[in-house]
Amino acid sequence: MNASAAPLVEVRGVSKRYPGVLALDNASLAVSPGEIVALTGENGSGKSTLSKIIGGAEQPDGGVVLVDGAETVIANPATALKLGIVMISQELTLAPQLTVAENVFMGRLPRRGRVIDWATVRRRAREELAALDVHVDVNARVGDLSVELQQEVEIARAVSSKARLLILDEATSSLSEHATERLLELVREQAKRGVAVLMISHRMPELYSTAGRAAVLRDGKMVGTVPLPSTPESQLVRMMVGRELNDYYGSRDCVPGDVVLQVRDLASADGALAPTSFEVRSGEIVGIAGLVGSGKAQLGMALGGAIAATGDVRVNGSPVTLGDPRRALGAGIGLVPDDRKRAALLPTRSVAHNMTLTWLPKLSKFGVVPTRTEKRRVKEAIAEYGVKTSSPAKLITQLSGGNQQKAILGRIFALDCPVYVLSEPTRGVDVGSKSQIYALLQKLTESGAAVVIISSELPELIGLADRVLVCFQGAVHGEVSGEQLQEEVLNAIAVSGHVHSEEPS
Amino acid sequence: MSQDTSLRPSEKIAAPSDSGRVGVLTNVWRASGKTTGVLAGLILLVIYLSITQPIFMTWGNITNIVASNSVVLVLAVGATFVIISGGLDLSTASAAAVTGMSYGMLLQHGMSAWVAVAGALAVGLLLGIVNGVLISYVKISFLVVTLGTLSIFESAALVMSQGKTINVFSLEGFQPIYNLVNGKVAGIPYLLIFDVLLVVAAALVLRYTTFGRGVYALGSNREAARLNGINVARTTLSVFLIAGLAAAVASLIQVGRLTGASPGIDSTLLLTVVAAVLIGGTAYTGGDGGVGGTVLGVLFLGVIQNGLTLSDVSTFWRGTVNGVVLIVAVALGVARDRGWLRFNRGKTPASS
Ligand SMILES: Nc1ncnc2c1ncn2[C@@H]1O[C@H](COP(=O)(O)OP(=O)(O)O)[C@@H](O)[C@H]1O
Ligand SMILES: [Mg+2]
Repeated sequence: MNASAAPLVEVRGVSKRYPGVLALDNASLAVSPGEIVALTGENGSGKSTLSKIIGGAEQPDGGVVLVDGAETVIANPATALKLGIVMISQELTLAPQLTVAENVFMGRLPRRGRVIDWATVRRRAREELAALDVHVDVNARVGDLSVELQQEVEIARAVSSKARLLILDEATSSLSEHATERLLELVREQAKRGVAVLMISHRMPELYSTAGRAAVLRDGKMVGTVPLPSTPESQLVRMMVGRELNDYYGSRDCVPGDVVLQVRDLASADGALAPTSFEVRSGEIVGIAGLVGSGKAQLGMALGGAIAATGDVRVNGSPVTLGDPRRALGAGIGLVPDDRKRAALLPTRSVAHNMTLTWLPKLSKFGVVPTRTEKRRVKEAIAEYGVKTSSPAKLITQLSGGNQQKAILGRIFALDCPVYVLSEPTRGVDVGSKSQIYALLQKLTESGAAVVIISSELPELIGLADRVLVCFQGAVHGEVSGEQLQEEVLNAIAVSGHVHSEEPS
Repeated sequence: MSQDTSLRPSEKIAAPSDSGRVGVLTNVWRASGKTTGVLAGLILLVIYLSITQPIFMTWGNITNIVASNSVVLVLAVGATFVIISGGLDLSTASAAAVTGMSYGMLLQHGMSAWVAVAGALAVGLLLGIVNGVLISYVKISFLVVTLGTLSIFESAALVMSQGKTINVFSLEGFQPIYNLVNGKVAGIPYLLIFDVLLVVAAALVLRYTTFGRGVYALGSNREAARLNGINVARTTLSVFLIAGLAAAVASLIQVGRLTGASPGIDSTLLLTVVAAVLIGGTAYTGGDGGVGGTVLGVLFLGVIQNGLTLSDVSTFWRGTVNGVVLIVAVALGVARDRGWLRFNRGKTPASS
C-alpha cells in the first residue's frame, strides 16, 4: 500500500456552477496511488460532477486540478486517458453496434503497418477478458449483451488500457451481487498494483469492504474525510444526510386484506420465465429475488404488459389483457421498469413532462391538458416524492440519477393503482432517498395497494417484504417468509433452487 | 513505487493552460434556446437587407415573401409533427403533387369548388394513411416506406394526367381557391392570415394536448412512451395523417398561385421543407422542437431566397445556400448541446 505517497490526482477548491445550482462549492480531494477512496454523498451532492472534472468531461469554474503534483488542465476525456485517468460510469460508453473486441481496443486498435490487425485485436481481447474471468464471445455485438456483461467489458477495457486512476461512478449499480463482488475483487487487485481508485456507490457494504477512506460531499461542499471501515456506518450516513437516520425501512400498520393481484401460470413468450403462479393481497409487499437471468426481471415486465406473455393475471378479480402496457395500466398495474434509461426516461423532456406522461389520460379533458392543474400536480409530486430539482422545467437528464429515479417512481405512485410492480426501485439512489422511498412504499401499502418488488438487494427485500419469492433458472423455486427470511436462505435458493441444510460456511 | 509510468508522456500534455473561467458570452451561448440562433440570424439578415436593398422592407415585398413561402410553411408544419415523433416523411412533396393533380382533375371533370377541395384533402389523408399504416402497423422503417412512396406518388402524379399540366384558371370551380390564395383584406393577404392561424393551431396542439405530448414522448423514447400508456401505433399513424393533410393543403395553395396543377415536383422542395424544420431547432432525432422554430426556419430560408433574388443572384445558387445553412445551423445546435464552443476564456483560473 502506498497511501502516504504523493497524491496522483488532487483537486483544490474546485467549484462548478450549472444554471440554477452550485454543483461543487470549493471542494478539495486527493487520491494517492494504491489507495481506494470512496466518494459519498446524497444524490445531487456533486459526486458525478467532481468525477467528471477529474475525468476531463467537465471544466471547473474555479479551483485547480493537480496531476502528479503539477497543475494540469484536463481539457477532455482523451487528455484524461493519456494521463491514465479512466472513468467508468453507470452510463455505459461502449459502442453498441461494435463487437466486444473492437470496444475493448477502441481508440487504440493494434495495427500492422497502416491496417488494423484484426487477428491480434481478437486474440488480445480474448486474453484480456480471460484474465479478468469474463466469459464472453469477443465477436459478439456489445448491444446484444446483457447490461452486466457490457459493464464487465467496459471494465476490461479500462484495465487493459493501464489506468493509473480508476473512477467508478456507480459502476456497480446495474450489476448483480455476484458481478459486483467480482468487480470489487478486481478493483482491490488493481489497487494492490498501485492503481488509485475513486469509487462512488450507494451500497454501504461495498464501500466498507473495499475503500480505505470515505470523502463526503454534501450540497457540493466537502464535509470531511473519514477512515474506513473503522468509522461506524451511522456516522458516515449522518455526515451525508446531515441528520440522524433511524428506522431505515420504516414500518406499516396494516394487516393484509383481500387478494388483489392473482397470477396464474404467467410465462413470458421468450421462455425466460416458466409458468408462475402467486397471489398478492392488499396491504402486502411481496418481494421477488433471484440472480440475473433467473427470470425475475421478466416476471415484472410480463406483469406490466411490457413483454409478450401467456397466462392469467387478475386485478380485483377482473382479467388483465397481457402484453399491452396500456391495458395493464388501465387495469391498475403500475410498473416501474428496471432500466431507467432505456424504458422510463424521456431524455429530451423536462422533469414536469416526464412526470405527467403517465397521468395524461386522467389529467386531460377532451384531450387537452389543463396546464394550471398540471403545474400544480407536478409541484406537489416533486415535493411529496422528494425530487431535488431547481425547476420543474429542467431537463430530466440534468438531474442526478437518484433524483431521476424519484421522478420516475413519483409518476407511477401518483396514479393510485391497486397494484404496483417495481423493478429495482432504488437502483442508484442514495441512503437518505432510499429511506424516503421505503417510507413512501410503506404508506402506499398501508393505503391498501398490493406491491411487488423485484430487487437484487436482499436487505431491501428482507426489510420491506412480507414474503419473498425466489426465482431460479426461469421459475419460482421457493417462497420465504417470517423467521426464514434471511439472506443466507434467499441466496441458497437463488443459486441452487433449494435451501441447503448442511451448507459449508 | 511500483507504478508503471511508461504510459505517462515525458512532456506536458498539450492541454490549453487557460483553464477555468467561463465568461458571460459562454453562459449566454450555453443557455440559449434552440431557436435563439436562427432568430438572431434572421434579424441580422433582415437588417442587412433593409440597408442594402431599399425595396426589401416594402409591404409589397413582404407579402411576396409570405406568398412564395406558404407552400413550404404548410408542408414544414406537417413535417414538424413527423420529425418530433422521431420519423421523417420523404414523400411529402410527391404527395402534394398527387393531391394537386387530384384537385385539378376533379375541377376538370366539372366538380364544384368544395367537392374538389374535399377530394384533394381526402386524397391527402389517404396518402397519409398509406404511409402511416405501413410504418406503424406493418412496422416497416419510415425511411424505407417514405422513400418508396416518394417514388410511387411522384409517378402516380405523372400517370394521372399523362404528364400534362392541367390549366384550371378558366374553370369556374377554381375561383374560391384562387381568391383565397391571392386575395387580400385591408391589405393583408388571406394567405398570411391562414398561415398564422395554422401555426398557432399546430403549436397549441403540440403543447397543450395529450396527442402533442404523445408525439414528443414517442420521439424522445419510444419504449418509455409505450410503457406509460401512449398508443404508439395510433400516434405514429396520426402524425403521418397530419403530414398527408398538410400536403393536400400545400398543393391547393400551389395550384392557387400557379393557376395550374402540374405533375412535376420542384426538386428542392423536400430539402427546403426538412431543412426549415431542422434549422428551426427541431431535433432530427425527435422528441424536441416545435412549430415556432419551424416558422423561423421557413422565414430564414425564405428571406435568404428573397435577398438573393433582389441582389440578382442566379437561382441556381438556391440549393447551395439552403444546404450550407442547414448544415451550419444543425452543427451549431449540436455544438451548443455538447458544450463544444467556449468563448472568452480567462488567462488565469478564477480564484473562488
Ligand atoms: N448538465 C447539467 N446541467 C444542469 N445541472 C446539472 C448538470 N449536471 C448536474 N447538474 C446538477 O448538479 C448537481 C450535482 O449533480 P451530480 O454531480 O450528478 O450529483 P451526484 O452524482 O452526487 O448524484 C445536481 O443538483 C444536478 O441537478
Ligand atoms: Mg451521480
